[in-house]
Amino acid sequence: MTHSFFGGVFPATRKGITRRKPIARLAKASKEIIIPLVMCADGPATPLVSPGDAVTVGQPIARRGETGASAHATVSGRVSAIEDRPHPWGGLSPAIVIQNDDRNEPYDGHMDPLDPRQLTLRQAAERVEAAGVVGMGGGAFPTQEKLLRSAGRVDTLIVNAAECEPYVTADYRLLLERSEHILRGAQALARCLSCQRVVVVTEGDKLSAVEAVERRLRRRGGGRVQILTVRTRYPLGAEKQIIQTVTGREVPPGGSPLDVRCAVFNVATVYAIHDALFQGRPLTYRVVTVTGGAVTRPRNMWVPIGTPLRHLLEACGGLREETDRILIGGPMMGTPVTSLEAPVTKDTNSMVCLASWEHKPDRPAGVCIRCGKCVASCPMHLAPTLIRRALEDQDLSKLARYHLEDCNACGCCSFICPAQIPLVETVAQASLLLKKGGE
Amino acid sequence: MFSKKHLSPQLRQPSTTKAMMSDVMVALMPTLGMAVFFFGIRVLALCAVSVFSCVTFEFVYRVLTGQPVSIQDRSACVTGLLLALSLPASTPYWVVVMGAAFAIIVVKQFYGGLGRNFMNPALAGRMLAGTMPILMTTWPEPMQRLSLTAVDAVSAPTPMAYLHEGAMPPQDLDLMFLGNRGGCMGEVSAFMLLLGLGYLVLRRVISFRVPGGYLGTVALFALLTVPDGVSAPEWAAYQLMGGGLIMGAVFFATDPTTSPVTPRGQVMYGIGCGLLTVLLRTSSPYPEGVGWAILTMNCMVWLLDRLGLPRQFGVGNFAATRAILRRTRANLAEIKFVMPGITIKRPVLKEGQAPGEAYLDQLRSAARTLGPLAAVLAATCVVIYGVHRYTDLDTARAEVRAQQEMLAQAMPQASVGVETPYRAAGALSITGGYDGEGRLLGYCVEVQSQGFAGPITMMVGVDLNGAVTGVAVTSHSEQDRVGTEAMTPEALARYVGRSGTIRSSGPNSVDTVSGATATSKAITAGVNRALNIVANLDTEGEVNYEDTQ
Repeated sequence: MTHSFFGGVFPATRKGITRRKPIARLAKASKEIIIPLVMCADGPATPLVSPGDAVTVGQPIARRGETGASAHATVSGRVSAIEDRPHPWGGLSPAIVIQNDDRNEPYDGHMDPLDPRQLTLRQAAERVEAAGVVGMGGGAFPTQEKLLRSAGRVDTLIVNAAECEPYVTADYRLLLERSEHILRGAQALARCLSCQRVVVVTEGDKLSAVEAVERRLRRRGGGRVQILTVRTRYPLGAEKQIIQTVTGREVPPGGSPLDVRCAVFNVATVYAIHDALFQGRPLTYRVVTVTGGAVTRPRNMWVPIGTPLRHLLEACGGLREETDRILIGGPMMGTPVTSLEAPVTKDTNSMVCLASWEHKPDRPAGVCIRCGKCVASCPMHLAPTLIRRALEDQDLSKLARYHLEDCNACGCCSFICPAQIPLVETVAQASLLLKKGGE
Repeated sequence: MFSKKHLSPQLRQPSTTKAMMSDVMVALMPTLGMAVFFFGIRVLALCAVSVFSCVTFEFVYRVLTGQPVSIQDRSACVTGLLLALSLPASTPYWVVVMGAAFAIIVVKQFYGGLGRNFMNPALAGRMLAGTMPILMTTWPEPMQRLSLTAVDAVSAPTPMAYLHEGAMPPQDLDLMFLGNRGGCMGEVSAFMLLLGLGYLVLRRVISFRVPGGYLGTVALFALLTVPDGVSAPEWAAYQLMGGGLIMGAVFFATDPTTSPVTPRGQVMYGIGCGLLTVLLRTSSPYPEGVGWAILTMNCMVWLLDRLGLPRQFGVGNFAATRAILRRTRANLAEIKFVMPGITIKRPVLKEGQAPGEAYLDQLRSAARTLGPLAAVLAATCVVIYGVHRYTDLDTARAEVRAQQEMLAQAMPQASVGVETPYRAAGALSITGGYDGEGRLLGYCVEVQSQGFAGPITMMVGVDLNGAVTGVAVTSHSEQDRVGTEAMTPEALARYVGRSGTIRSSGPNSVDTVSGATATSKAITAGVNRALNIVANLDTEGEVNYEDTQ
C-alpha cells in the first residue's frame, strides 16, 4: 500500500499497560445504572418508561423519536427516576436511573437473529436502529442513518481498528478476541451496502490481532475482506486520514466520506451490528479500557452501559495515586471528566487516569520560535503558527485564507509544539473570531 | 479535583525550546573542539567573550526596557557561540563584542526578541564584523595556534580564493574534510559540522529540508560548471567544503525563526540560498557568498511562507492551482490605474485682495509643499559634490590621461594600449599597442637608464618588425636647458625607424646632442635595451603572472 497521510505525530503509545489484559466482566454490577437520553450526536431520545417501572435486561427503555438512539436496560431492576445527571461529555443531562436488583432477568420480547443470506438493507437498518447502535469510536452518529445514506454509493468499506490514541486497547482486544464476529459483521455490512472491498485497518502495534484476523481470513477465504496494517502514527484513526491511507482519496473540504465513495465503521460498531443482526442482542455492553499510571489494576472491561465511572474505577482497584486528570477517551483528544458520577455511554472507549509524571507539565506557553513543526505535523494541511500570528494581529483577511474550518482538533500541533502553545485552542478561537467577524 | 480546565491533548512531546537551544550548542561542540585543536586556546576565549557579551546585552536590554528577562531560554548563548565560531581566530576581542551588540540589540531585541527577528542575529553580527577590512583578508593558518593576547597570524589563503579563480586549492580533499585549511574558526572542519547536522536531524531539532536543499543546489551547480581539466566530483566536493557553506547550511540557514515554517517553503528557501550562493561565488568580486545569500533569503521568508502554504486538504493539486490562479487574478483586478488628475484651479478671489494676490498665495503654498523636497535635493547634491570632491577622482583621471599621451608619443599608430603580463629583465612594464581593429602593432617598453643627474625613465615603442616607433620620456632629473636638449621632440624623433643596436657614431648611429652627451647616451642605451627586450620577448611560453619584484 503506497498511500499515506501527511504529517502526524508519534506519541509514546503506552498500550503495554493493558495490551495483555483479556476483556473481563465486572465482578459485581453497579447498584445504580444511569442511562442518559443523550447517547447520540443528534440529540436526546424519547423515554419509554416512567419512574417506578420494573425493567429487565435488554428491555427498550427509550426510543428514537425525532432524534437520539434507542436505549435498553442493561440490568434488571426498577426505574427510580428520570432526572438530570452528570454526562461524560460535560454538564448535566436527563438520564434514566435504574436501581439494580442483581437478578439479571432477561427480557422476553427479544429480537430474532436474522438470516445472513437473506439480509436486506432495510431489514438491517431497522434492526440496527432497534438495537440502538451508534458510532462507538467517538462520533456517536446513528448507524442506521449512515447505512441508509451509504447504500450503493460506496466502493470501499473501512473497518477502523486503528485505535491511534495512546493507552487505549479496547478495540485491539475486541478485534483479537472477537475477530470472527467482526469479520462476519463486516461482510454483512458490505453486502448491504453492495461495496466490493472491505478493509480492516490496524496499526503496527496490534500484530496479535492482525494475526488472529489473518488466520481466520485464511481459514475461510477472505472474500472481499482484507486486512491492512499501517505503521503506528497518530492520527491514523481519524476518518479522513484513514480514508486517505486506504484509498489515497481526500475527503473534500466540508464533505463527507461518501464524496469519495467510502464508509468508515469503528470495529466496536461492527461488532455491535453483528450482535444486533445475528444474535438479536441490543447494544447494552461495550469494552472500556481503564488505564493510566494512576490506576491500581488497569484492565479492559466488558461494561454494562450506564455504569458510573466511579464504580468502574473501583472495580479496577481504584486510584493508587492522586490525579487531577481522568479522561474519557484517549489522552490526545479525550475530554477531562468533570464528575466520576457520570456513566459509561455507548461511545466511551476508555477511561484514562494520568499520573502526574505522565501528562504534560503545567507550564505557561512559551514564545513561538517559528520552528514550523506544527505545520509539518498537521494532517489537515493547516499552518497553526501562521494562524496564531494572524489571530494575534486580528487579521481577518489573512485568517480567511487559512481554511480554519478544516481543523479536526486532533491535537498534533499542540503535542509537537516545543513552546507548549495551546495551538488547537488558538485555531478554535481564530475560527470563532472569523465567524463573528464574518457576520 | 476536576475544577481545573486542562486543555487537550494531555500528552506532549518532551522537547522544549530550551532543549532545542541546548541541542544546537551540543551539535556545535565537535566543531568547537576541532577549532581549538587547529587555532589554539584563543578560540575558547573568543567564544567565552562572545557568549558572555550576548547574554549580557540581552539581559541589560530586557531590564532597561522593562521586559521580562529572557536569557534563560539559552537563545543568546547559541547566538554568541555561532557568532564567535563564524569569525577568524585572529579576530580582536572588541570586534566580537561589537558584533554581539549588533546581533542582540539591533537585530534581535529591536524586533521584539526571540522568534520575532527577521534576520539571523549571529549571521548579521558576523557580517557586520566582516566589514572590518582586517577580517576579510587575514585567515590564520591551521595548526598555528594563537596565544590569548598576541595575534601575529600568518595569513593563509582560503580554498575559496582558489576556487573563485577556477583553480583547485592546494589542500588535499581528505585534509580539507577534516578541516586543515584557512578560514573561520567554525567553518573549517566539514566532518565535525556534518556530525552536528546528523545530531540535529536525529534529535528532530531541524529537518533535512533546508540543509538538503541548500547543499544539493550548490552541488548541482558545481557539477554543471566544472572548469576544464578538473574532475567533476572533486570540484563539487571542494565547492561544498570550501568557505562557510556547510556551517551556513547547517547552523545559519536552519535558524527556525528566520526560515519558513511550511515544509515546501523550507525546501524553496534552501534552494534559494543555494542559488544565491552559487551566484555570489561565481559572479561577485568576493570569493564567498554564503553569509549574504542567507541574509538575503531571510528577508524573503514572508514570501516563501505564503508560497509554501500547504495545499488545502481534500482539494486536488489541479484545483489548488486553479484556486491560486483565481486569487491572483482577483488580486490583479484590484489594482486599478488612476490617472493622476492635474488641474490648475483658478483661485477664488477673497475679499480685499488685489487680482494677482491669489496667484501669489497659490505660489507660496506650492513653495511650502515643495520646499522640503528642494531642500533634500539640494542636500543630496551637496553630498554628491562633496564625495566627488574628496574622493579625488581627478588624480586617477589625470594618470590615465598621462598614460594615453605617453602611448601616443611612443607609438602614434596605436589607439589602445593594454598592459601585457610579460616580464623581462630591465623592463618596468610592457604595454601592447593595438590599433582600432584590435590588431597588435607593437610593444611599448618602459625602461630606465642612468642619465647625467639620475635615472631617466622612458617609454620606447617598438613595432613588430623591431623598429622604433617613438620614444617618450616619462620622468628624469636632468638639468633644465642642458640635459633636456636631448629630450626635445626633434631629438627623440631621430630614433624613429631605427632597429638593431643604435650607436653614437658610425653606421646606424644617432648623434649625441651637443651639451647633453651623457643624457643622449642614456637615452640611446634605453632605446637599445628596449629593442633588445622586444627582440627576445618570449610570448609563446608560459606566462609568469607573479610579480617578480
